[in-house]
Amino acid sequence: MGEVKKSASQKGAGIVFFLAGFIGALLVGWVVFPNVLYSTKTQPITFLHSSHQDSNCEDCHYFRDDGSYNGLPKVAKCAECHAEPMGDSPEEKKLVEEYIQQEREIPWLVYAWQPDNVYFSHAAHTQQQGIECVRCHRDVTKETKNPPFKENRLTGYSDKTMKMVECEKCHAEHGASNACHLCHK
Amino acid sequence: MSLGRRAFLQFVGGAIGGTLLTPIPWKLADDSAIWTQNWSWRPSPERGEITRVRSVCQLCPGGCGITARLVNGRRAVAVTGNEAHALSGGGVCPMGASSLQYLYAPYRIQQPLKQMGSRGDSKGFKPVSWAEALKEVTAKLTKLRSEGKSHTVACLTGQKRSTMARLWKRFLTAYGSPNFYTMPDAADSMRLAVALTTGRDAEVGFLWDKATYVLNFGAPLLEGWGSPVYLQKVFGRWQTEKPGVPRTVLVHVESRASLTASKAHRWIACNPGTEAALALGIAHVLVRDKLYDAAFVAEKVFGFEDWTDATGAQRKGFRNVVLAKYGVEETAKITGVAPQTIQDLARELAKQKHALVVWGQDKGDKPNSLYHDLAFLALNALLGTLTPSGTVVLVPPDPWGDLPEPVLDTEAYRGAGQTALGRPSTVPRTKAPVNTVLPFLEALASGSEYPVELLFIHEANPAYSLPETALVTQALQKAAMVVSFSSFMDETTQWADIILPNHTALERLDDVIGLPGAPYVYYALASPIVKPLYDTKGTGDVLLNLAAAVGGGVAESHPWKTYEEVLKATVASIAKAGTGLVATAGSFDPASVLPGRPLQPNFKDAADLWNKLKAGACWVDAPAAVESFATPSERYELACQGLMVSISPTAADDLFMPRFHPLKPSGEESEFPLLLVAYASLMLSEGYVPNTPFMNKLLPDDVLRKQDVFVEIHPETARTLGLADKAAAVLKTPRGETPVRVRLTTAVKPGVVAAPQGFGHTAYDEYVQQKGFNANSLVEVQLDPITGLGTLWATRAQLRRA
Repeated sequence: MGEVKKSASQKGAGIVFFLAGFIGALLVGWVVFPNVLYSTKTQPITFLHSSHQDSNCEDCHYFRDDGSYNGLPKVAKCAECHAEPMGDSPEEKKLVEEYIQQEREIPWLVYAWQPDNVYFSHAAHTQQQGIECVRCHRDVTKETKNPPFKENRLTGYSDKTMKMVECEKCHAEHGASNACHLCHK
Repeated sequence: MSLGRRAFLQFVGGAIGGTLLTPIPWKLADDSAIWTQNWSWRPSPERGEITRVRSVCQLCPGGCGITARLVNGRRAVAVTGNEAHALSGGGVCPMGASSLQYLYAPYRIQQPLKQMGSRGDSKGFKPVSWAEALKEVTAKLTKLRSEGKSHTVACLTGQKRSTMARLWKRFLTAYGSPNFYTMPDAADSMRLAVALTTGRDAEVGFLWDKATYVLNFGAPLLEGWGSPVYLQKVFGRWQTEKPGVPRTVLVHVESRASLTASKAHRWIACNPGTEAALALGIAHVLVRDKLYDAAFVAEKVFGFEDWTDATGAQRKGFRNVVLAKYGVEETAKITGVAPQTIQDLARELAKQKHALVVWGQDKGDKPNSLYHDLAFLALNALLGTLTPSGTVVLVPPDPWGDLPEPVLDTEAYRGAGQTALGRPSTVPRTKAPVNTVLPFLEALASGSEYPVELLFIHEANPAYSLPETALVTQALQKAAMVVSFSSFMDETTQWADIILPNHTALERLDDVIGLPGAPYVYYALASPIVKPLYDTKGTGDVLLNLAAAVGGGVAESHPWKTYEEVLKATVASIAKAGTGLVATAGSFDPASVLPGRPLQPNFKDAADLWNKLKAGACWVDAPAAVESFATPSERYELACQGLMVSISPTAADDLFMPRFHPLKPSGEESEFPLLLVAYASLMLSEGYVPNTPFMNKLLPDDVLRKQDVFVEIHPETARTLGLADKAAAVLKTPRGETPVRVRLTTAVKPGVVAAPQGFGHTAYDEYVQQKGFNANSLVEVQLDPITGLGTLWATRAQLRRA
C-alpha cells in the first residue's frame, strides 16, 4: 500500500471547515453573546432629568452633614413637590399613587451601582479633586427618555457599571494610589 | 467534499480559535466571579443615610446610656455607649454592645400565639390575632373576678426597675390579688434589713467616689454587680492619680479569685458563704478594742448595749453578743481567714477617714440572708458610715411619690385580704415590699393553700434563671393558665397557654428607675431605636387594655390610654418635685453629689424634662442625708425590735440582731464531699435574655469548648479525684447531675467546685442551645427562715471521672 497523499481539494475543504467554525464563533461571541448575556429592563418610572431643570442637581444629589453622599433621593424628596400630581402624565400618576401615597421607595435600577466590596467616596473625587460628575456618569441634562438598563444575567449589574480597570487607569494617570485597601476595605 | 470526522475536527478547531478572540471566555470568567459575590444568602448591608439614636439600655438594671447607629432610620446596625451619659460615659457591656442580636434574633415571637397542643410543646403554638388572644385573657379575668377568685391571679415580672413593675402591682391590687412578684433581687432582702434597722424603705447607696478604703464582701464589682458600666468607671477613677488625693484601696473578700478579686489591692480568700462571719469577727475587734465610732453608736444606735424588749424582758445587746460569739479565733475557724488578718482588717478600717463596707453576690440578683445583710449594715454602723458625712446613703426607691392610689372596689378589698400564696407568717411587717417568689412557686407546685388560675409572666424566664429550675417547671404546670409576654421563645414561654409578645427593649418606650448600688436617685427614659419589626405590642399598653376591658375599679384605677401617658405622669411628678437635674457627661461630676444637697433643676417644665430624657439623658438627684431613724427607738436598731413579731418572744437574744447564720445544705458530706458555687460573668447572661452569639465569641476555650463547659477545681482536689486538667467528669448534687470538664486552677479553694452561670439553655436557637449545663438546675436554694426569700450560697457536690 502506498502513502496517502492529501489532495489540494481536501486541503481547501479543511480550510473552509476551519473558517466556518472560526467565523461562526466570532459571530456568536461578538453578536449573539452580548445579546444573550444582558437582559434589557426599564425603569419602574420614567424619570427625566430634563423635566426637572427648575431644580439644581444638589437639591436631590447632595452631601449629608457627615460628608457621605446621598446618591439617589428617597421618595420623601419626590413628595415635596409631587404629593399631589402636578400634571397629567401617567408616569407621575404612578409615582404619586404607587409610591408616594403608599410610602414605598422606588426600586430604581442604578446604572452605576458598585458591589458591596467596593468603597467609594464621592466627596474625595468631586469635592477634593474637582472631577466632574460626567467623568463617570452619563450626561443627563438633555435626555428625553431613560436609557435602557441592560442587566447582566449573571452578575445583576448594569453593563454601564464601571469596572476596576477604569478606576485603576484614572488613578494611575493622576498619580493616585492603586493600593488594594484604598477601595477594598 | 464529505462531512467526515476530519471535517468536524477542523470546524471545532476553528470555533475554538474564534471563541478565544471573542469576549465569551474572558467575560464569563469575570462575571462568574462577580456572580459568586451576589448569592442570595450572602449578607449585604443596606446602604443609606446613617443616623444615631440615643437611648438607655434596659437589658439589666444598670441603666447605661446607649447610642444606636441606623441605616435609613430603620435598620439598626450597631449599639455603642452614649458618651454624653453622665454615669456610664460611653461605656457599654458585652450584652448591651450585642443587643441588636436580640432585636433581629431568629427566636423572636412575631405575633400572638396560642397553645393548641399539650402544655410545654413548643411546636403546638399557632398564631392568633391580638383581638382573639386578648378576648380570651379578658374572659378569664372577668370570670375569675365574678366568681370571687381574683386572688388566684398572679404575676411574675422581671422588669423590676421600670414603671411596668408598678403598673403590674397596681393592676393586681385593683383587680384584687396580693400575688405580685418580681424576679429575685438583692434589694429584696436589703430593703427589709434597711427597714428593720432604720425604719425607712430604701436601698443602700454607696459613695464610691468619696470612699478611701473599700472593704468588699463578695460583690463582683467588675463582673456585673450593681450598675456594671458605672462601677467600671468608678474603678477607673480609683486608679487615676490625683495630686494630693490618696488612691482608693479595694480589699475584696471572696472564696474564689474572681476578676474583681484579681484586680483588688488585696484579696482575702474566705470559705464559701462565710463573708458575714468575717464581718462580725471584724466587728468583734472594733468593739473589743473600742475602735468603733463611739459618738454615732452612743447617740444614734439602739441595741448596742443591753436592752429591754416590749415584754419587759432583759436582752443582751450587740456588744455582749459579738464579744461572746465572734472572737477572732472562732471567726478564723469559720472563715478560714487567719486571726491576724482579721485584726489587721479591723484596725485598717478603723484608721480610715472614709471607709466603706460593701457586700453582694453575683449580679445582685440573689437575696441575702436577712441576718447577713444586718451584719454588713452593722459593720457600717460601727464605722459611722451612716452619718451624714459618711459613705453610705439611703436611696428611696420612689422619691417623687407614686401614681395616684388605685380605686379599690369590693372584690379588690376581698382579694387584698387574702394572704399571698406561700408567704410565711414570719415575714416582718415593714415599709419594704415583700417578694416571696420561691415560697409562692413551692406552694403552687405542691398545690397547698389555693390554686393559681391565671399566671402572668412578663420579661422573665424563671424556668431557666431561678435556682431550682425543676420546681419552677413543676409550678408552671400546676397553674391553670399561663400567659407569657415574652418577646422570645424561652424555656418558660414554652409552658404558656397564650403568648402576647412584648416589643423588645430596643423597640419600646420605657423607663429605668434607680441605679443599684449608686448613691443617686436616678431616672431615665428608654426610647425605641426602631419601629417594632413584628406584630408585637408593648405590655404596658396591653395591660391598660386589659384593665379597661375588665371594667369596674380596675378600669377606674387605670385612667391612662397608653403606657406613654403613664410615663409622662411619672416625669411630670419628677418635674413637679422641682429638684434634681438632667445630667450630661462633662458638665456633671458624679463625685460632687452629696447626700442632703439636692441638685438644682436645669429643665423648664415637665415637657422640657420629657424631651431631654427622651433624647437619652438621665435625671439625677442627691438622696436626703440620714439624719434620723423611723424605728420604734428612733435610732439605728442593731437589735431589731421589728423582728419581735417574726420570732418567738422567748427566742435567744442574738436572734434579734446580726449573726452568722449558715443554712445547712442538704445531702450527706460522705456522698457529696465538695461544695459547688456558681459564679457570674459579664460575658454570660443568666437572666431573661440568653447569651448573644457575639457574647459567646468572647468566651475563652477553658470556659466553653464546643458544647462542653468547664468547672474550676483546685489542683489538690483534682489529685484526690484523679482528674487531669481538661478531663471529662460528672458533677452531681442532690438536685441532679451533669457531664462537665474540669479546669485546674488555684483560683478556687480545695474542696470547692466553681461553675459558671448562663449556659445550658434548651430553648432559643442553635447558637444558644445545648451548651454545657444550667448551674441553676444543680444548685440548692435555701429559704431564709424569717423572710422566706430564697438564698443561695453553696450546694454539696460530688465530682467523679466520666
